[in-house]
Amino acid sequence: MSLNDRESWGVTNLRLAFPKKKSMLFKDLSLDYQKGEKILLLGPSGCGKSTLLQVLSGLVPDSVELPMRADRHAVPDNWGFIFQDPDTQFCMPYVDEEIAFVLENRSISRNRMSQLIHHYLDMVDLKLENSHQLIRTLSGGMKQRLAIASVLALEPDVLFLDEPTALLDPRGTVQLWQTVRRIGNDRTLIIVEHKIDHVLDFIDRVVLFNHKGEIFADGPKVTTLARYREKLDDFGIWHPGVWKGYEEKQLDKSDDTFGELILELNHFEVLHQKRVKLFIEELMIHRGEWIAIIGENGAGKSTMIEGIMGLLHTKGKLSWTFPHPEDHVQFVFQNPEYQFVTDSVEDELAFSLRIKKMNEDEIARRVDQSLERYALKEQRLQHPFQLSIGQKRRLSVASAMINHPDVLILDEPTFGQDARNTFALLDLFQQLRQEGTTIIMVTHEMEIVSRFATRTLTIDQGRLVKDTLNESSKEEKRFGYGFDEHEHVIF
Amino acid sequence: MDTVLTNTNTLFFKINPSLKFILISSLFIVYLFVQNLNTMIWASLFFLILYYFVSGLSGKWSFWFVLITLIVSLFSASAMILFGKGSHIIYHQSLILITQESLARGVLLGLRTFTFSLIGMIFATTTLPVPFFYSLMQQLKVPVRYAYGCLAAFRMIPIMAEEFMHIRQAMRVRGMTRQKGVKAFCERMTRYTITMLAQSIRRAQRTAIAMEAKRFSMTEKRTYFYEIGWSRNDVYFVIILLLTVALGFVFSSYFPLTPYTNVLDQ
Repeated sequence: MSLNDRESWGVTNLRLAFPKKKSMLFKDLSLDYQKGEKILLLGPSGCGKSTLLQVLSGLVPDSVELPMRADRHAVPDNWGFIFQDPDTQFCMPYVDEEIAFVLENRSISRNRMSQLIHHYLDMVDLKLENSHQLIRTLSGGMKQRLAIASVLALEPDVLFLDEPTALLDPRGTVQLWQTVRRIGNDRTLIIVEHKIDHVLDFIDRVVLFNHKGEIFADGPKVTTLARYREKLDDFGIWHPGVWKGYEEKQLDKSDDTFGELILELNHFEVLHQKRVKLFIEELMIHRGEWIAIIGENGAGKSTMIEGIMGLLHTKGKLSWTFPHPEDHVQFVFQNPEYQFVTDSVEDELAFSLRIKKMNEDEIARRVDQSLERYALKEQRLQHPFQLSIGQKRRLSVASAMINHPDVLILDEPTFGQDARNTFALLDLFQQLRQEGTTIIMVTHEMEIVSRFATRTLTIDQGRLVKDTLNESSKEEKRFGYGFDEHEHVIF
Repeated sequence: MDTVLTNTNTLFFKINPSLKFILISSLFIVYLFVQNLNTMIWASLFFLILYYFVSGLSGKWSFWFVLITLIVSLFSASAMILFGKGSHIIYHQSLILITQESLARGVLLGLRTFTFSLIGMIFATTTLPVPFFYSLMQQLKVPVRYAYGCLAAFRMIPIMAEEFMHIRQAMRVRGMTRQKGVKAFCERMTRYTITMLAQSIRRAQRTAIAMEAKRFSMTEKRTYFYEIGWSRNDVYFVIILLLTVALGFVFSSYFPLTPYTNVLDQ
């Protein structure tokens, strides 16, 4: 295959810095690619892959003004860019209007628009009864496919994808990559991604970055990945063998002895706007359990734990065996930023202790202990919003745990985290459980469910449909809602 | 927003939004210069009737809106009623002085507030943001960057509402709501502001980049998915509006309910 007759783009000797940062993000970085190539950029968080993608597309410096210089900066004529966050890629309220927005930008005549809108929606396999549907009613995965559809309306030769599945659940991830694979056939793809299971099949070249933003390996997929396999673990990449590698390191499987009853639900209903969103006939939770709540998007998993926390209106019996549940039960939100209430990491940790009017010496001691345990010592005086994604998550768990609660309830704690952070968190939860904390978490990650949870609750359409004990007994009993007989699991 | 609005397939939804915008705004100016209490009484009555027939709000929301507007109007009236000047004293005790003149002025002011809100709501509840901004671009030549900027901002409103709920829940979980007092309240407000500002700024920036990545440019010519034109409905609209205004003036001269034809006269 001769390389000369193909179009090629890229940067040569790129130098780029963020304002107010002492060191440069890129120093004399070069990357070239040719028409039809399918490239995966891999590297640790914060190494500048996303910024490089914006440079390659010309968004830097045209739309995002960053001081940069390059000997050569060749940008393709027709390109499309898919961003990470499904919620901030759109400017119109409805699906059809969003694609029309792109067509308007291209000055396509109005009478061709409806037909084209359907064409692009079909291309990404987004089947809607009516294309005039509110975008915010779509799931994250559907939003991302809509983002692809609207970018396809640009008829791009080159597609840049910046971690498009970082905020998607496993099913949305699979569907998205199926779509990309289908539409990417005759296009050039440049992909930055942390979850590479479904990407590896259709890419042909891999570029590896180190912490300093330098390219240290660049070559065909198979040889490059084979040679630098252990680097993937260092970077926290979700690759196909990642769980296996983690298990080897993780030795102790704790024994599953559960203590006394701590929570009892009976004919428990969670209401939202006067409608019953979740119903649980009977459920008992014991000390020391690790409960995973699973189910489809919108099945009512978050509703369930928010109901248990008393954040939504509920009916029926919800009884903790603690006299003051608010001192014994802590909740960690999916987005940690919402629950930060102070301006520094240490104040954040001390917050709930100060509310309880604990003496300052004891507070200082506990804060130091937590900073140590959750690896936040260096960040002690930083504003919580300035932390990295992994640090934010650790801080949110740390500030919930500083009171030594008996129960920790978490809403998708590993969501959007890289493999390294996820494993660090799981180790932590494992430790907490061994110390007697009961863990209740909503998750989509089946590996966590099968490896860690002692019990799995499956929610479907607002009902608890399955209650399974993992590991020891493998006992499985179905709740017979709608049938005459019903039974529940007895410990 | 969607559950609040009722049927959008009514006459007032089909009017050219730019025309509606201009006519409605000019009504504000007209009633700003009305000093005849009788005109104001009749006008607020007729606009209440018009509001009842054309408002896009569903019954429950509509009722609460009118009620709240009435209360607000009462407040704005009371300031003028209780402390105004005048020679025919009705009631006087320490600081409070009610005179016939100030009562008339106060009632006029209250009714004006009431009418303004009704007129504003007639517009707001029958105009959807997307057609409105498209019409502004097409009929009034508003620069595209402002129009699409506003549309993008509209999209943020439900996201922000959801975010507000999350922060409120988070504060409850963290125990922030257990603290009482003015200081704790200020502290909470600061948190809401900082968190929501930080999120919104980030979102706005990302959206702006995404829009530019979709080749949104501010100068080039573009086509429009919706073409907002004119129809017979616009004529009906102008007639209905003129009739409502005219009836107010006619009734005030034929059926004056009060002797105050100019409240500014001493």
